[in-house]
Amino acid sequence: MGSPIPDAHKPDLPAEQITLTYHDGTSRTVYDTGVERPYPDGKLIVSRTDLDGIITHVNDAFVEISGYHVDELIGQQHYILRHPDMPKAAYQDLWDTAKAGKKWHGYVKNLCKDGSHYWVYATVVPNVRRGETVGYTSVRRKPSRSKIEAAMAQYAQMKQDEEG
Amino acid sequence: MTTHNMLIAPDFSPERFAGWHMFNTLIQKRANLNMHLNIPASHAEQETLIEAGVIQIIYANPFDAAALIREQGYRAVARPIGKSDEMVIAAAANSDINHLEDIHKGATVAMADNRDVKLIGLRLLEAVDIEESDLNWDITETYQAAARKVIKGDAQAAFFLAEIFHSFSRLTKAQLSVLIESDLADISHVLLIKDDFPDAQIFIEAILDLHSDDDGKEALTELGMPEGFEAMSEEDAEFMIDLMQTLLD
Repeated sequence: MGSPIPDAHKPDLPAEQITLTYHDGTSRTVYDTGVERPYPDGKLIVSRTDLDGIITHVNDAFVEISGYHVDELIGQQHYILRHPDMPKAAYQDLWDTAKAGKKWHGYVKNLCKDGSHYWVYATVVPNVRRGETVGYTSVRRKPSRSKIEAAMAQYAQMKQDEEG
Repeated sequence: MTTHNMLIAPDFSPERFAGWHMFNTLIQKRANLNMHLNIPASHAEQETLIEAGVIQIIYANPFDAAALIREQGYRAVARPIGKSDEMVIAAAANSDINHLEDIHKGATVAMADNRDVKLIGLRLLEAVDIEESDLNWDITETYQAAARKVIKGDAQAAFFLAEIFHSFSRLTKAQLSVLIESDLADISHVLLIKDDFPDAQIFIEAILDLHSDDDGKEALTELGMPEGFEAMSEEDAEFMIDLMQTLLD
């Protein structure tokens, strides 16, 4: 199965090139410039997906910080935002928790279209309608610097463990 | 003719009071129904009225709407256009608190008793590693009293409902500096009706048509919602409730 998301464009800034392989077996080339985008003060970054992780809704703050056009996001797998520094186990935990019908909280480093990134404190809840889960809502808030630093250390260790 | 009871959540700016009475007069005339307006002075009074089971229509704040829809048999039918519920954290203009980062553990925050404002404010303070238990809370009768506390230096910061903060006099605002204003956008008050409300359709039509003539526009302007109401589907309400669930912790 080929990658449903096109490879990222090589940014003008110096960037590390990485091939990401997702849980569905598809791969994609992305770039990491190491540039951090500031979280927009006072805002929430909101998205919704269907049961398969396909994006069905994004708010303006989501579109703006991601660097993508809204049309490049709707209908795409949510992992379009996955940053290569994020351990697979973090997403596994997210999906296991949400699919069990529970709320998931965690710190996430997201990748922008241009290879920059932004940190969020994300909460994911299942959308339960008449007793049935029909999708998921993810709402991000601004994380503190100390929490970001703790997450960086934790994720680096988890990545190291995953790569053995 | 049966008289219906409408309840207005108590967290509105005092200057909107006349607007709600104009709204009620117009809706009664246009939907041809009798409606008694209940304006509780506090959240506790609101709960007592709702628990008594006599309220058919509620202009509810978004956090109350979640329980009213999911547990108490109300459904959302409309919301004000372009009027999301936001809050402001401010300090005295002449203090050395100029950024959220300048609020330290042990600080006193003044605010009127409004758990939604408090909840959103606490979410914003997470970004500077401040939690509820890190602060001393001075709960005032009104937001104006909270403003006075912070201006006098009795509190280091104050939380306000944004609409009320922006309605303060120029003199009051000049003595305060805004540290942050929320821009959550997707969360607003909602108009709820009881599932078995008999005159639902005519009532909803009257609400959605309010902005289409001068009398309606005048009432809406008094309410600070000049663009009027838009219809809200069951899914719109569920989406907002899901979003709010994420903010509870």
